Amino acid sequence: MATQNTSMSSLEADVLVIGGGSTGVGVARDAALRGFSTVLVERRDLADGTTGRFHGLLHSGGRYAVKDPSAARECIAENRILRVTAADCVEDTGGLFVSTPWDDPEYGDLFLEGCKATGVPAEEIPVAEALRREPRVNPDIRRAFLVPDAALDPWKLVWGCARSAEEHGARILPYHKVLGLEVDGDRVVGAHVRSERSGEEFAIRATVVVNAAGAWAGQIAKLAHCTVNVRAGMGLMIAMNHRLVHTCVNRCKRPADGDILLPLRTACVIGTTDVFVPDPDETEIRQADIDLLLDEGEKLVPGFRQARALHAWAGVRPLFEDTTEVAETRDVTRSHALLDHSAREGVAGFLTITGGKTTTFRLMAEAAVDAACEQLGGLRPCSTADVPLAGSESHTLYQIGHRLAAREPVPQSEEIICECELITRGRLEDTIKQSDTTSLDDIRRLLRLAMGPCQGGFCIYRAAGILHQGGNVDREGANRTLLDFLEERWKGVHPILHGDQLRQARLDDWIFQGILDVEHLPV
Amino acid sequence: MSYDTVVIGAGLAGLTAALRLTEHGQRVLVVARGVGATHLAPATVDVLGYLGETRVETPASSLATLVAGSRDHPYAHIEAHQLAAALAWFSTRAGARGYVGGLEENLLLPTALGVPKPSALAPRTMSGGDLRAGGRFVFVGFKGFKDFHPTLIADNLVRARLPAAVAARALELELPAGRRVDMSGRVIAGQFDTEKLSEWLIAALENRVEPDERIGVPAVLGLRRADETWQELETRLDRKVFEVSTLPPSIPGIRLFDALANELRAGGTRIVLGVRAVGARTNGERIEAVDVANATGTISHATDAVVLASGGFASGGLELDSFGATHETVFDLPLIGVPDTDRVRFAPAYFDAQPLSAAGVGTDDLLRPVDASGQPVYANLHAAGAILGGAVPWKEKSGTGISVATGYAAAGAILAPAAQAVSEAVR
Repeated sequence: MATQNTSMSSLEADVLVIGGGSTGVGVARDAALRGFSTVLVERRDLADGTTGRFHGLLHSGGRYAVKDPSAARECIAENRILRVTAADCVEDTGGLFVSTPWDDPEYGDLFLEGCKATGVPAEEIPVAEALRREPRVNPDIRRAFLVPDAALDPWKLVWGCARSAEEHGARILPYHKVLGLEVDGDRVVGAHVRSERSGEEFAIRATVVVNAAGAWAGQIAKLAHCTVNVRAGMGLMIAMNHRLVHTCVNRCKRPADGDILLPLRTACVIGTTDVFVPDPDETEIRQADIDLLLDEGEKLVPGFRQARALHAWAGVRPLFEDTTEVAETRDVTRSHALLDHSAREGVAGFLTITGGKTTTFRLMAEAAVDAACEQLGGLRPCSTADVPLAGSESHTLYQIGHRLAAREPVPQSEEIICECELITRGRLEDTIKQSDTTSLDDIRRLLRLAMGPCQGGFCIYRAAGILHQGGNVDREGANRTLLDFLEERWKGVHPILHGDQLRQARLDDWIFQGILDVEHLPV
Repeated sequence: MSYDTVVIGAGLAGLTAALRLTEHGQRVLVVARGVGATHLAPATVDVLGYLGETRVETPASSLATLVAGSRDHPYAHIEAHQLAAALAWFSTRAGARGYVGGLEENLLLPTALGVPKPSALAPRTMSGGDLRAGGRFVFVGFKGFKDFHPTLIADNLVRARLPAAVAARALELELPAGRRVDMSGRVIAGQFDTEKLSEWLIAALENRVEPDERIGVPAVLGLRRADETWQELETRLDRKVFEVSTLPPSIPGIRLFDALANELRAGGTRIVLGVRAVGARTNGERIEAVDVANATGTISHATDAVVLASGGFASGGLELDSFGATHETVFDLPLIGVPDTDRVRFAPAYFDAQPLSAAGVGTDDLLRPVDASGQPVYANLHAAGAILGGAVPWKEKSGTGISVATGYAAAGAILAPAAQAVSEAVR
């Protein structure tokens, strides 16, 4: 994703994709694989919006089996595809649906029927067997069902798609904001964009513009005087410092708040809530929602409140609606919407793909590019269901501990910069070079640096020094990105700060303020 | 077994109190969950570095301003002469032998980010980094030691706000061949002690340093022989050499802990780590015994006095639970500076004033924790160090100063009645 230094006073492409979440990079990759020249622009870093903030569940479809059968069918089909084509992004954790004392055990029958009808493999297992698999789960559960849920790493998924797209000639441009869409008569013919790093503004001309801006799709559509009603459904997630469960554990009941707890790499994540927010960029974390998740966590895993909460964050689901009379966001369809604006508003060369969920991103991309083909001279076949992503060529599923396994034979071969996530100096330096980044927060997303229990307490000083020494940033840049990182981190830390994680935060205060005195850095 | 004083906590405050009591012939027991913040802090004694946004040049005079504005501050319970006596006492302990500085002037020592940080006292091995007189500096890093970034230090230092012009540059040295990659500060310090890494360092620097340059190195010059190594470097390089503190574990802090602990043990005081004080037997007014839990059970240690130096949130002396309630973890003492549970505890911006940051126990002038009415909770319980409320040590750069001052003063308060009793008996 190297930022090109060459001037981009104008670019031309068959397909211009707006939005660098899973849908956008999926569209770019799909279009590039079909041989279309493709450019993608994203106003911030890739996966900075909804994709990088979702809980990380690769749905089996079980969650939707009762109330949204078509979503369930899509999920299980895509689940099977991604296990093969995006194997490096998927940990095969399996999923459990459990009836806690707060859930009606008879819902389990509906659940099994729904799974059967939608083709989601589900099997009831004895409670004792479920507790043997997951000893921390509430021993008072009354029923348990196994489904093929899995954990999905959103960053790897997005970067894998982006790299695949680039290998097929696409240009991926993070930190490029769309200022306007260029409209020629009744056609959208491109976009006017600005590099958020260099400040340079330029035009990108394209035969088809695909609006994959997710919860922001309405804002983009408006630039072409089109209307897309996407509402932002904010969901809160809390990451705990280790894997309280090794299986994705769901409550067996109608989907509601705080009913999923899943392992994600070395941590686990509880989610989520669902609140309409007027502006997808304004996601305030409320104490009441934190307490709700902690209380629900306590029902699934007794002692949850004493466990160590690392980080809280909110993502916004894009919820598409064609009417405005919707009260509860969970009742809005989780299926995606593909809008051809020539049919809707008479604006040609402009498609919007929104709604949906990360599990079905590939399917959404396929639908969008199929529609784009019609405007590009005829259908070309989609190959994303078969061709593996960059990084997943060996079809080997991700396994927790692989970094450690790779380090163990040669423990002293290289410096480990981030002990929590086992990130070596070489990987950090390569990533800095390849991404040409100036931001520690980008590095966090690219490598998971600073995502472990100490939340960057030790590695961020090191990474700042290495970033500065590598020449990507001058002194001001290094100081600025260090301070920005601390502020950004604090946003996710302070809402859930208690118990042992407060001890950790105080240790970090001592490091940054007591030892390094960051607050008096010259900036 | 009965003690004159049980000290809870083995950080700087607890060790200071215990040592002063031991020196006065008391039978003292130190119990702690583990080592304290000595292993984290830079081993300087920072009495007061900042008053709000203003960098403090003369702690002696700025302290009056501080306590006038904050009656709950731990320093408000310490007389100026007592603070001076505490620092003087500390500088002459074997563990702190060769500390430089005092209350009249703060040194300005570079941090590992190249920020000038004010400290009242610093070990001799660090004081050569004092930036106040300006001059030329070279910062030396070791390739493969990830906790020290000399280029960033030098780059920041030349732009820092300083009383005199400073020039700074960076040098990065390749450690001698055959070393492990990814050496921690502890490992390098060990090699300075046992393998004379100083020979290599001297050879590597001899022709690469200008005559008027002072040499800053990461604070890893050794755990046992650091003073000798530092002396040797200064003598043979004929330049000022100084250590710069960096990420934990703090090597100078470990040296300080070891030295103070050795003095305590030499004086007959037991230090028991890995145990947890969990409560007390009291007669309502006084603590008669401290209950200490170890791996096998709980032991009750009878004692005449107690120093609570269990630390703040970082060390587990204070705790915030998931419902938003704050507790003192040993005696469940009343706290000051705690926002109501329905109020925000943390400001949304990291560098803003944080409502919970000054939480801790409030005391009377004998450093006895008091209840809401200002009455001591127990007549023979004294508190010292980071458990005390009213300060924001990492912002004020006052943490180690508070620990030394209150540890010394808590011991003084315990000794004072004994001294009276002795004089009465004599009379």
